[in-house]
Amino acid sequence: MTAAPDHSADERPPLSEQLGVRLRLVGTALVAGVVVATVSVVAATVLSDPTASVETAFALGSLLFGFGLLGWSGAVALGRGIESMQETLDTQTGWTEPDARRAMARIIGFGLGVMLGTMFVGSVVLGLA
Amino acid sequence: MISSRFVLKRLLLLVPVLVGVASLVFSILHLSPGDPALTIAGERASEEFVKQVEESLGLNDPIWVQYGRFIADAAQFQFGESFIIQRNTTVREVLVNKLPVTLELAIYGQLIGVFLGIPLGILSAVKQDSITDHLTRIGALAGISVPIFWSGPLLILLFAQVLGVLPTSGRISVLYNVEAIRVTGLVTVDTLIAGEWDMFVSAVRHMILPASVIGVYSMALISRMMRSSMLEVIRQDYIRTARAKGQGAKITVLKHGFRNAMIPVITVIGIQFGGLLGGAVLTETVFAIGGIGTLLVEAIKVGDYPIVQGTVLTFAFLFTLVNLGVDITYSILDPRIEQ
Amino acid sequence: MSTETKTTTETTTGTGERGLIDRVTASPFVSKLLSNRLALAGIAIIVTMVVVAIYARLFISLDAITQSQLGTNPNRAAPSLEYLFGTDGQARSLLPRVAYGAWYAMLFGTVTVAASTTLGVGLGIIAAYYGDVTDNVIMRTMDVLLAFPSLLLALALVAIFPDDLGLWRAVAALTLVYTPRFARVVRGAALTVLENEYIDATIALGATDPRVLVRHVLPNCLAPITVQSTLNFGLAIIDLAALSFLGFGAAAGTPSWGLMLSNGVSQGLLTGVWWWSFFPGFFLALTVLGFNLLGDGMRDALDPRMREAVD
Repeated sequence: MTAAPDHSADERPPLSEQLGVRLRLVGTALVAGVVVATVSVVAATVLSDPTASVETAFALGSLLFGFGLLGWSGAVALGRGIESMQETLDTQTGWTEPDARRAMARIIGFGLGVMLGTMFVGSVVLGLA
Repeated sequence: MISSRFVLKRLLLLVPVLVGVASLVFSILHLSPGDPALTIAGERASEEFVKQVEESLGLNDPIWVQYGRFIADAAQFQFGESFIIQRNTTVREVLVNKLPVTLELAIYGQLIGVFLGIPLGILSAVKQDSITDHLTRIGALAGISVPIFWSGPLLILLFAQVLGVLPTSGRISVLYNVEAIRVTGLVTVDTLIAGEWDMFVSAVRHMILPASVIGVYSMALISRMMRSSMLEVIRQDYIRTARAKGQGAKITVLKHGFRNAMIPVITVIGIQFGGLLGGAVLTETVFAIGGIGTLLVEAIKVGDYPIVQGTVLTFAFLFTLVNLGVDITYSILDPRIEQ
Repeated sequence: MSTETKTTTETTTGTGERGLIDRVTASPFVSKLLSNRLALAGIAIIVTMVVVAIYARLFISLDAITQSQLGTNPNRAAPSLEYLFGTDGQARSLLPRVAYGAWYAMLFGTVTVAASTTLGVGLGIIAAYYGDVTDNVIMRTMDVLLAFPSLLLALALVAIFPDDLGLWRAVAALTLVYTPRFARVVRGAALTVLENEYIDATIALGATDPRVLVRHVLPNCLAPITVQSTLNFGLAIIDLAALSFLGFGAAAGTPSWGLMLSNGVSQGLLTGVWWWSFFPGFFLALTVLGFNLLGDGMRDALDPRMREAVD
């Protein structure tokens, strides 16, 4: 039976709690991104040209950020379509829209973190302003 | 029923799509080996001129400043001017010219896919495991095995060269000036609006082969989806009950099955529209129809990044809008879903 | 294809020559596959193309079919007994070129499928085994990549790689395009395997993570991986040819089917020189059909529990 996904509104936790969960999700990924970017840019600077490594790191961050944004919008826009296609074609992989949004939020956070981290290292430490 | 709030929310999704595409293009621009300043100035340009180009594009600013400017421009649909393909023309102008070409091809291709795929799928399901079923399934498999860039040339050779009944390439006979009557940019529509019957016939004749080639692809997927969806519905209890009550098999299927079986198929039509756009790139090349598909290929080849960005964004927008339409259709077919 | 993989896995268990054949044909997967006439036709087509490819690689000189033969052969000759597939605009006979195209298709197709299988198997098994955040991020990323139309995604990726890589650039882009399919299949299959109690027992007995994955999970995923590889082989050959056709693959003059088709369309079509596009395209479509027939048959013969994962 291709049943409609139930939107049971009353079971949702209060808004502030929802927001908190989301912020923690993106925040953790963001911090991870900042750390990874800082460490790798500093390491890359020792080995090669600082401007080039900052540019590459920032571009990689924006790659993840953009990918995450597209994936998030895709999950929201196509969520039900993908779910019902998998059901009908017998290729269920447990894909659900909230799950996909969560994953994309992590990627968005991480990418943004890499961009911010690179910006920080680039402007403060290396003084490329 | 669908609410205007839902539609508005979906349209707002275009904002993250836009920023996402812009970020991706930005990163590709900075990760790919070519130097954009050198590309614009030309390989043989003097060092001084290259510096000048770098300056004017702001390529010497820190990368995050460049990123901020890039996103801000994209948000206002300012993709700048084409570097190479049409120098001194804004990307927007180029796109406005080329988009209807691809759109027209995609619309007719999709129509062919839907109106052939759905009946074939139903036929296959109702006569499961009969010869008709097997033939349809093998046909669908053959349909996806034959690449567009082979079926296209073969059809051109047969219908244009051997039989001489259809034109080889292009959108309309060179004798006519379509630009003079341009309203929507879709030649089959413009010629009708202008009441030019001869021109309309010419446009339709040019459309038949490319639209069929592209339509066969979506037909294969739609018929497969329709078949399995229909089989599932037929197996369900209420159909059996209806049959037990003595209604004929055909009537039962049409009355109860079709509407329910359509629901998953509709969503798939939305998702495979992306594949259709990919097919448009090849079809445009084979039939020498200059739409945004060939534009994208050319732009990637020569490194005309403003065009690449504009084209990719247009593809993404088309895809999002088509799926919004699908969602609206979906909620009409299945009133259980509240938006 | 399938029988080969099957054979190698069976040999490692150390059964004798005769017992091996008996065991392979007794396996429900193989016997079900061999009773499917369409799948057998697919196998016949693939075997023929592999033979042609190897023959071409061994006995046809690449130089002789790449260089212009103007003056030696007639230019733009229609198919005849002497030039079975006709000659092209450089007076090169098309028959050896089309045969050599089979070698390119098989070679680059194999590399693409092998590379994306390896990447996908790694990601899929890791996602299934570690679960939670790892699984969530890996698999949803794969889903996004799957949602992009494959040719458009390949075009975007091709732009990142330097163009002096030739056909390898297309291979690299397509490897990334196909990886998600394998990751998805492998994750699904690995989850089914991980549900078995003996895995828990092995872990309880102190087996390390990599050991469990390589010794217990991977061998049990081989069947769905083989099916997915077969289905993707056809796609890989089409997409490689498509990228060459659009100008992102083989260097000019290379006897690849996509490039020959591109020449046939851009130069032969208007003048009615049909053999330039007919022969390369025919063999391309035939090869792809072979893989699709076999892949479809294999999917039907697969254990239903595993079938769910294969798309």
